[in-house]
Amino acid sequence: MSRAYTKDIRVLAIDPSTRGFGFAVLEGPNRLIDWGVKETKTDNKKKSLKLIEDLIDRYQPSVIVVEDYAGRGSRRCQRIQELIDEISKLALKRKVRVRSFSRVKVKQAFAESGATKYSIALAIANRLPELAPRLPRFRKPWMSEDYRMSIFDAVAFGLTFFHVDSKRKLAA
Amino acid sequence: MSHKLENYLRTYRKRSGLLQDEVAFLLGCQSGTKVSRYERFCRKPSLETLFAYEMVFGAPGRELFVGAYQKVEKRISNRAQLLARKRNRATPDRMATRKLQILKAITSGSGTGPDKLS
Repeated sequence: MSRAYTKDIRVLAIDPSTRGFGFAVLEGPNRLIDWGVKETKTDNKKKSLKLIEDLIDRYQPSVIVVEDYAGRGSRRCQRIQELIDEISKLALKRKVRVRSFSRVKVKQAFAESGATKYSIALAIANRLPELAPRLPRFRKPWMSEDYRMSIFDAVAFGLTFFHVDSKRKLAA
Repeated sequence: MSHKLENYLRTYRKRSGLLQDEVAFLLGCQSGTKVSRYERFCRKPSLETLFAYEMVFGAPGRELFVGAYQKVEKRISNRAQLLARKRNRATPDRMATRKLQILKAITSGSGTGPDKLS
């Protein structure tokens, strides 16, 4: 990834999952402010939206980054697709810009690190050492995905935003 | 740009890997509730707590409380400008010139610590 990035923009990246959603707040590509997984046991959509609203209130981001579920390489269930749409609506209501990136775009941004989800997570853990303790061990084919991977997915979306934005600025 | 957050206590705590209850213990609080309130910007810490945070995270207060620091900085700078304007009207002597130098330094953000005064 190139080193000339957009600075001084607070980005909230969200990656919905079966448990709830993973989130990451970044103030530049090398400054991770907050990260974690918010769990919603029942009434996923309503509770998730409430928790996302709390995050928007606390961090007042300039941009919210989500997955482009219609893009190449993305396979998300109906519930997640609806939740992403609701997040976009919420962001519009709160006058926060929304950017979405497909899985392919994320892989392109991390082209140097490799194309798998785990290699991207590994690259993120190397870049942001505070996340290293949260990196789950390598997933075997018979294992289900660790819930902490949604943090790394969210950070990957955030970093893709900075990567794409810096490329756009260099081209201009 | 989104302005700086009031404080970055949560970021520093998460980087250190400490839990809210553990930080509360270090600060001498009963539970992590108070720590949570500091981190959610619901409560402002006392001077003693600020020093404790500096010690726990090894970062100066102005870095931990960036937003709060910037607010104070802006306010003081405005007041220094006002005071400089008032002092400008007075008859110039050595003391007045020195005061104006100090006020100029405050406005420019370079500060007026004893080491900075000649």
